[in-house]
Amino acid sequence: MGKYLRIEEMLSSIHNMDGDSYTIMEVCGSHTEAIKKYGIGELVKPQIRLLSGPGCPVCVTSEDYIDKAIELTKVKDIIITTFGDMLRVKGRKENLLEQKEKGRDIRVLYTPIDAIDLARAHMNKEIIFLAVGFETTAPIIALAIKKARQEKLHNLSFYIGLKRMKPILRYIFNDSDHGIKGLICPGHVASVVGEHYFEFISKEYGISGVIAGFESKDVVQALYYLSLNKEKSGYFNNLYRQCVSYQGNQKAIELMEEVFDDCDAKLRGIGIIEGAGFHIQKEYVEYDASVRYQLEEHNVNKMTDKEINKCQDIKRNKCVCSDILLGKSEPKDCPLYGGKCTPEHPVGPCMISGEGSCAISYKYLV
Amino acid sequence: MDEIIKLIHGDGGKHTSQLIEEIFYKNFQNKYLLDQGDAATFQLGNELISYTTDSFVVKPIFFRGGNIGKLAVCGTVNDLVVSGATPLYLSTGFIIEEGFERKKLEKIVETMRDMCTQANVSIVTGDTKVVEKGSLDEIVINTSGVGVNYSGYKKNKIDAGDKILITGGIGEHGTTIAVDRYHMKISGDYQSDCALLTPFLSVVNEYKEAIKCMRDPTRGGVATVLHEFMKTTEYGICLYEEEIPIKPSIRAVNKLLGFDPLYMACEGRMVLVVKREEADKVLRMLQSIESGKDTCIIGEFAQMEDKMIYSRNSFGGKRIIPELVSSILPRIC
Repeated sequence: MGKYLRIEEMLSSIHNMDGDSYTIMEVCGSHTEAIKKYGIGELVKPQIRLLSGPGCPVCVTSEDYIDKAIELTKVKDIIITTFGDMLRVKGRKENLLEQKEKGRDIRVLYTPIDAIDLARAHMNKEIIFLAVGFETTAPIIALAIKKARQEKLHNLSFYIGLKRMKPILRYIFNDSDHGIKGLICPGHVASVVGEHYFEFISKEYGISGVIAGFESKDVVQALYYLSLNKEKSGYFNNLYRQCVSYQGNQKAIELMEEVFDDCDAKLRGIGIIEGAGFHIQKEYVEYDASVRYQLEEHNVNKMTDKEINKCQDIKRNKCVCSDILLGKSEPKDCPLYGGKCTPEHPVGPCMISGEGSCAISYKYLV
Repeated sequence: MDEIIKLIHGDGGKHTSQLIEEIFYKNFQNKYLLDQGDAATFQLGNELISYTTDSFVVKPIFFRGGNIGKLAVCGTVNDLVVSGATPLYLSTGFIIEEGFERKKLEKIVETMRDMCTQANVSIVTGDTKVVEKGSLDEIVINTSGVGVNYSGYKKNKIDAGDKILITGGIGEHGTTIAVDRYHMKISGDYQSDCALLTPFLSVVNEYKEAIKCMRDPTRGGVATVLHEFMKTTEYGICLYEEEIPIKPSIRAVNKLLGFDPLYMACEGRMVLVVKREEADKVLRMLQSIESGKDTCIIGEFAQMEDKMIYSRNSFGGKRIIPELVSSILPRIC
């Protein structure tokens, strides 16, 4: 405690670890990217086996959601607005980028607050924002909805595809096969929801957890502390105190709770997870695009036969995305990886988004 | 093969190359074109002439550090410089949308005048067209340029151990445009690096035997240029991650946008591959020139089992730098 170690010293300590390989999962696209970008995964082998969980909200967005967004692009006088990385994710057949190339009005925004400016500037058009993300993004979507109401804007709505981290983590840990001993908790989600939100992983499941930032030193430090405390069941530490407090960002939490309640969510390649979704509360229903445009509620409490078949289809094609998303396999374990499935011709969700494990592996892996 | 031309065909990456090969090279076959240099070089009488052309469609047309006119002159002049030629004469063609403000046109042309004076070139011929409102987005400019290769410089075979130099911070133009196009409300120490490379001609003259090849890393950035170099050789590239010069503000903005500065356009930088033994001397001479004071050696060519470009960081981690496949970057030049 108190001594600042260099990255090389921490790596050396990890390499001196005794015992079996220690399986650690991370659940944040930014952590996946940092690990691959700095080549950390290779540097900590074989003492640590790093798995990438479902931390990419774009990857786990259902095909249904994309298809409905595509349908909306065809409606007259509509502007679809979205985060950039949603453009290339395929629905059943096509993606939003292909619609844009056909001349449909789809605009990339950096923040949902810009959708408000757009709505004000185009009063004769309907603006829809595709709201996808985890708890990091939910507060700003809530803020945008509140602002829209304050400004009495009636030509703006939000198609909610937001997801909650805790139910997804429970889903993973409830599987007796998981083999995960430690978790690098997503720093951005934690900065909103607080340290206490993640304590359940150690208290209820005996899994060690560390909240970490995204620089190379942050990630190596997280692995170092986890490996140092390998023998302690349920070790927990917040190493990102400059951004994460115990209670979290109260203002952001209040915003989320005011505008949203929870609901079941369908995750691509995985299936329905209870309570993993966000749903706009009745008071703000005017801003709910799925109600306004009578889209079939996509967070339904059952999979259609088509979807069950699709999951089976994916398995039949030997795509192991669902296992990768749940941390049971790595990209290189998939028989399609790098051959039939590449970023240019993706099969499953992990290759589709730039933040998906397979896409990142393919981009960086030496 | 795609049935329609898509935005991705203009990105400067793999799809652009494919389109150029499948349609343009296939039909316009000749040895000058297929040499695939930034300029075509051929003998005309006693002189070795270089000739190049470029079109400019950047949005926004006025950006921090310049405007479309500045780009139009620098882009073409620089393509001549990296071919080893001293730029002499330019042509320029304007296609202007009906309703375009006269004041803006004047400002663009005045900038072009100033850049020509700095570069010691003249615009000797041109063309102007005005098209109906809606058929073009404000303005498009084409410039072509002719220069003479006085030094006799020509590209040389790349060898293992050859060093890779860059004359300043990377990704500044592309990032500046992206900030504007994504309406990011940020202020900071960033602007386009759009500038002339003519001051480096003295280095080219002095070290013409040692400089194996040169390029200005515009569309697709430094990574794309390095892939182009690698295609001409059996060797791979190892980059030194911490030596790659990136301004802190550029690094920060790219992090926010989820982009990699290695793929963001530069409009005032030169990438050179230099014989290992002369690399330090070339480095010092470039650094002695004002616009080259931040020149660094960022990597080298090396024998590898699987030819690739990778970057090694200070604690031993490695990452591959793949070829740019696609991007959703706005038009930058």
